[in-house]
Amino acid sequence: MKTWLRDHAMWIASGGLVVAMLASLGIGDMPLSLDRIWAGLWKEDEMASIVLWQIRVPRMLVAIEIGAALAASGVVMQAYFRNSLASPGLLGVSSGGAAGAVIAIGAGWAAVSFYILPFMAIVGAFSATLAVVGLARQGASTERLLLAGVALNALLGAVTSYVLSDFTLSYERNAQIIFWLLGGLEDRNWDHVLMATPVVLCAALLWPLGRSMDLLSLGATEAQSLGVNVRVLRRKMLALSTVMTALATAVAGTVGFVGLVVPHIFRLMIGPEHKRLVPISIIGGATFVLACDLIGRSMGGIRLGIVTAALGGPFFLWMLRRRS
Amino acid sequence: MIGLKLEDVSVAGRLNSLNLEVEAGKLVGLIGPNGSGKSTLLSVAAGLLPGGGTVEWNGDNLDEIDPLERGRKAAWVPQDALFSFGFSVRSVLAHGRFAHGDDGRGIDEALERMDLISLADRPVNELSGGERHRVLLARAMVTNAPLHLWDEPLGPLDPRHALKVLALADDLKRSGHTVIMSLHDLRVAYYLDEVVVLSQGDLKAVGRPHDVLTPELLLEVFGVKADFVSSLILKLP
Repeated sequence: MKTWLRDHAMWIASGGLVVAMLASLGIGDMPLSLDRIWAGLWKEDEMASIVLWQIRVPRMLVAIEIGAALAASGVVMQAYFRNSLASPGLLGVSSGGAAGAVIAIGAGWAAVSFYILPFMAIVGAFSATLAVVGLARQGASTERLLLAGVALNALLGAVTSYVLSDFTLSYERNAQIIFWLLGGLEDRNWDHVLMATPVVLCAALLWPLGRSMDLLSLGATEAQSLGVNVRVLRRKMLALSTVMTALATAVAGTVGFVGLVVPHIFRLMIGPEHKRLVPISIIGGATFVLACDLIGRSMGGIRLGIVTAALGGPFFLWMLRRRS
Repeated sequence: MIGLKLEDVSVAGRLNSLNLEVEAGKLVGLIGPNGSGKSTLLSVAAGLLPGGGTVEWNGDNLDEIDPLERGRKAAWVPQDALFSFGFSVRSVLAHGRFAHGDDGRGIDEALERMDLISLADRPVNELSGGERHRVLLARAMVTNAPLHLWDEPLGPLDPRHALKVLALADDLKRSGHTVIMSLHDLRVAYYLDEVVVLSQGDLKAVGRPHDVLTPELLLEVFGVKADFVSSLILKLP
């Protein structure tokens, strides 16, 4: 069974993504059949076309981009720290991105230019990454890594609360900030699709690093002895995973547990080789976020971040129990 | 030709300005009490720990060898490895060919040589300490590097596999490789070409085992009295 799963995992994941994409386009206040989706995409059905091209297609694409980015980022962090519990959310990198975005909104910079918000998210995420790398070195124990994440999340939470507590903020800015904290795909448009597009480039740059990441997950010394340029590899991994997390946070706010749950499931299915784990986690991450968004939508508009946390939280506790 | 040359290498508190030359194609044992600097010396020689001074592999200065080339020129075996993820044994051996463009050469031969055929598809993090160690030695064999640096390769092994590792080291030597291994079993040291004796980070002696491992030196370095008597001898069938 396991061999069959391993050999067919890519097909299963790709099939799951196609189904989730079609469901994402078809399900909503105005349900669309496959025929109407087809006609709407080709602008042969005016009503369906407006719903699809103005609402559902950009929302679906943003979900795919952030799901792929967060899952890939989780794989990279797990290889970097040699720990399957490492993920952008638990380590505080997502919170760093959100804090950067919140500062940009709170200070009014986000209104000046569309690109200031993602830029600040990247700055926040990089600051958090550097802090967590300093607090929990490579190969750190699970306890140390999680405690570093707890400390960083608390610190960044304080930054966010400080901005929120500024009584001079307008109602509109406060509402925007709460959006980042809850994480969601409501009202995402083509600008957001464009903003997150660099994750595709990051994913493409990540793919060739798969073999080196296998070796680094054995430990830096071993990887070096086998011919890996560890310093260069680590820099590339940190830069790519941080940019991907930051862009995902910039367009959809804090969406937790994707980077933890998705790589873990696929590692159990296909094994730890990154050449296969990276692409399949990218596909699986996109599918997971689309599915969580659909669950939220079908339950009366529950925010994406709440759904991923509701599914990911118990999964994380199960992982901890399994490890102990 | 000199297989390994260390000139004035130091690591604070562990190695004191040490110089060593090992001829290529030799099987050399590194011995000394716990904390004498054996693992540190091997790490410095492998280029994994900065030790100042100069390190040369087969006449090439280590600073001038690019990272990928290092993976082809030296094989380092740590005392133990904690595998965080469940790579199969075969995959771990394949890592030994990373610097050769992942061509997969020599993997089946190494699996057979280290009695790992039946474990080839098992996750390495589910193996015993001794089995994991055989995997690390098989991976070193797969690299086909001219210089081998093994840190206590015999420590966790049963008698049969310890003999197999010694036979492997001997075969590597006969095909021109240099093998340097740290040891605790002094009886094994007598089968090697040369021994290097370390004590508190200093080089105490270098030479043929029968010349170097005198009762006086063993008493001074290890604090043990040595009696040469006949004892149990094990051989592979």
